[in-house]
This record gives sequence, C-alpha cells and structure tokens, in this order.
Amino acid sequence: MRLLPASLRALAVFIALGLVLARSAPAPADAVDLLLVSGEDRALQPVLDRLQGAQRETHAAWTLWVGALAGKRVAVVRSDGDPLNAVAATTLALRHHPPRLIFIFGTARAHDPALHDGDVVVAGNFAAFDGIVSPTIDLGAGSDALHWDRLPHLLMTSGETEKAADTFPADPDATTVALKLRAPSGRVLRGVLGSANQINREADRIAWLHAHWGTSTEDGESAHIAGCAALFGIPVAGARVVNGSPADAAKFALEFTEAWK
Amino acid sequence: MEMKQILLLVLLAVAAHATEPVEVLVQGAEKLEVTDLVAALGPQAEKIAIGPFSFWLGRIGPHRVAVSLTGQGLINCTAATIVGIEEFHPRLIVNQGTAGAQAPFLALNDIIVGRRALDYGNFITPVRAAGAGSSPLTWTPIPQSLRDPATDKMVAFPRGFTGDAAAIAVALRTRNPLGRVFPGVVGSAHEVNLELDRVRWSHETFGMDVEEMESAHVAALAHAFGLRYVTFRVVSDAPYEGVPFDALAARATALFTINFLGNLPAPTPGSN
Repeated sequence: MRLLPASLRALAVFIALGLVLARSAPAPADAVDLLLVSGEDRALQPVLDRLQGAQRETHAAWTLWVGALAGKRVAVVRSDGDPLNAVAATTLALRHHPPRLIFIFGTARAHDPALHDGDVVVAGNFAAFDGIVSPTIDLGAGSDALHWDRLPHLLMTSGETEKAADTFPADPDATTVALKLRAPSGRVLRGVLGSANQINREADRIAWLHAHWGTSTEDGESAHIAGCAALFGIPVAGARVVNGSPADAAKFALEFTEAWK
Repeated sequence: MEMKQILLLVLLAVAAHATEPVEVLVQGAEKLEVTDLVAALGPQAEKIAIGPFSFWLGRIGPHRVAVSLTGQGLINCTAATIVGIEEFHPRLIVNQGTAGAQAPFLALNDIIVGRRALDYGNFITPVRAAGAGSSPLTWTPIPQSLRDPATDKMVAFPRGFTGDAAAIAVALRTRNPLGRVFPGVVGSAHEVNLELDRVRWSHETFGMDVEEMESAHVAALAHAFGLRYVTFRVVSDAPYEGVPFDALAARATALFTINFLGNLPAPTPGSN
C-alpha cells in the first residue's frame, strides 16, 4: 500500500506531531509580563488577594499562581525564603511562565548603618554573600570570619564556561520606576540587596559584609534569585523593606506592578 | 502527503521522543568531572543545550544516561537539576565530582559514597556588639527545609537527605581505579574551609567527611521530586595533610561512576 487512507494519514500526522511536541517537556510555556517573587506568606497574600482569575500550580514542593493584575498577566511564586527553594521556584516559574521581568519583594535586615526601619531599598545590584574561602590555619588557632575572603558565585554560560560575578545587576529601567515610588513608611533608596541563608547578628561581621560585599541589606534569597535570572537572561528588579512589615512590602510591590509598563 | 513523508515524520518523532526519558541523570559541576563520562557515551552521543546548560545523551552500560554539566555552586546546580528533571525524567540522579576532605583519614583520590548529604552553610549567629568580633564556632546551623505539598508546611531536614540504599550498595562494591571507597557524609556550601578548627567543627557537628558545593542541594531537589539519588565525591584536597586542590582527581570519580553504571542492574522491561 503506497498511500494510507486520508483518515489514517491524518491520524499518523497527529500522532507524529504529538510525539515531536512531547519532546519539549514540560507543558508548553505560558508567558507572562511580570513574575513577582517573595518568600514570605504575609507578603504574598495581599498580592494574591488582588490577583484576578488566579490559577494555582504546584510543581513538586513549589507553588505559583497566574492571573491578571493592573492590566498585566502576572505570575506570583512563593520562594520560601532560602537560596535553594528560591532558585528552584524561580527556575520552575521561568520555564513554565517566562516573564519579561522578575520583581523580588519582601523584608530584610540592615547591613548599612545609615538605613532606618521602614526604608525601602531598591536594588541597583544584588550580592550573594554566602561564598567564602578561609585561610589555612592550624588546629587550635580558632576560626575568625573577619579574616575570610569572598567567594563569588560563578554562573554557567551557553559556552560551557562559567563567568564570575561579584554582584548581579538589576534592570535599570525597572529600577528607575521603583525609585520613583513612595515607601509606605520611610524613604526609598537605591542599594545592594544581599542574600544568604544566614541571620547575622554579630555587629563586626555585619560591618565586614557591608564593607566587602557592599550590601545594604540581608535576606534569604534575593541575590540568588537574581543569579538565577541572569542564568536565563531574564531582567530582574527588587525592593526590600528594612525591618518592616510584609504588608508594606506587598504594598510596594503592588504599586510597582501598577507603575511598570 | 506521501507515505514516505509520513513515515519520515513518524521516524523523526519517534527518534526525538526516544531521547526521553533517561534512566540516570549524571551530573558534574566542571568539565573535568564530565569529560570521561561524555566519552563513555560513545560517538553517537547527542548533545542538547538548554539555556546555559549542556546535556549529552547516550548509553553507559545497560542504561540510557544524560550527562549534565551543571556548573558549580547552588545557583547553577539547582537550576540545572530542575532543567534535567523536567527535560529527561530520570529515575536516578548521580551527582559526582571533587571535594575537600574533612575526615583526617581520607587521602587524595579516595571516594566517599554519600549515605547522606546536607547543606552546612546556613546559620544564625549570636548577638555580638561592635568590637566583639566574629566567632563561627558558636554559630547555630539552620537546616535546609522543604515544603511538603500534602500539608503545605515547611519541613526541616537537619540531617540532610539520605542516598538511595540500592544505589549505595552497588557503589560500595564498585572499583575506584585511583583510590579507596568509603560510605560517608557529604556537606555542601559555597565555602572552601581551610581553618582546621572549623573543619573539625563541621566534621563533629554534622558528621561530614567531605565538603563541596552541590550534592546536598541536588539531594534536596531529588527528594522534592521523589527521585532516587546518590552522590560520589572524590577527595581532591586534604587540609589536614596540606594536600592542595588537584583538579585531576575529578577523573577518579568519573571513572568510578562509569564502573558504577556498569554494575547498576538494568531496568526491568516496562519500568521506565
């Protein structure tokens, strides 16, 4: 039989195309304008309350929502507050809902002594400050974090080589938009959002981090999300409320979503 | 449409679909850690680039394998693992590469088969006033947590994530051509620790035998996706002995992994 009947030909083509498309797992990406990322439920909830037609998706341990906000198609992802969860959640969100921009929001602790509670730090850059190399010191000589060196993260590139970066840049246009907004309580300042899965309460170490990494604040995830964004070439911006309320962080994120085009 | 064209399309589709799934996703952070593995896939290996990440598909022993060059550290390996899982649907992830010794008995080219892997880089410090310095040996570890989708609650894993028992059993009867093989505990963080007091503290606090930068992160992801996982780490530097980093130690773990895949039982028909 040289030719199949028309119905069987159509079926064969349908099966073949289906198999070809199945090659590109997961399900076809559903692009959005903006991906909002936060690790704090109390910062996420006011945003989710405003997200129209929200559809919830769970991928393994991570959850995101997709809907409409301020006339834009928006995905919201819960990053759970530490680098591993944040990079996993962001990677899943980027693959399933590739955005034009990622905006990271939440609260943070101050590294810069000039910051006041309630100030909003808008990222000019992000610094993942968890990388260290300690000097060779014999047994009995102790450990002193003030003598460690920085170990920047390397990012893989499509050329099978890694590129070192002390900081990851924020998208300048989005940063300009954020810097024009008003803080719920406090000032709006440009700075460096630092992150590590650490809570630093030693004043000398905080001063060391501020001096050596240039960090304005610390939280559990911002810079790692920015690094993930850089891996995939997606623009990223972010803002953190210093020792503030998650509700204030949500309010700032909602105002950014309205203002950003 | 001619029959020939339909057959071509079907063959193309079948060929494309046949690239998935794989049985084993084998990861290395650096080129030296995957070079021998890619060579073992043979001349028919297919390279696939997805974003910044490269994967090579082929067979090693009785297994269909994807070899993944992840890049070093949490950001790279987490993103690469998510891509590898979603694209190639492995049943088992093998993370392998170099590590620094934390147990004094370990020597260059010895391999630790990870009974468990944990993230040791997370902590909360005590409050210290300005001028009081920094004392890492007094910091309190923060365990890695993952959200349980069934309860929507975060669950802490203070001992990290255990390796797959069947894979560990196979690994412990696999030959390391360049050194010895021990079961042990692998610690991951973006750190290179050469202060021996802190090395000893990590060994005593977490039970760590070696330190490196990826295993525990990949182990957490495998746990979250319900996949089997094992890590092999070769000692590339040993601070107690003053042995500096030897990048070529990566060959030991790659060759060991090839032997492991040869020993790992073939999947039963229809199980993938």
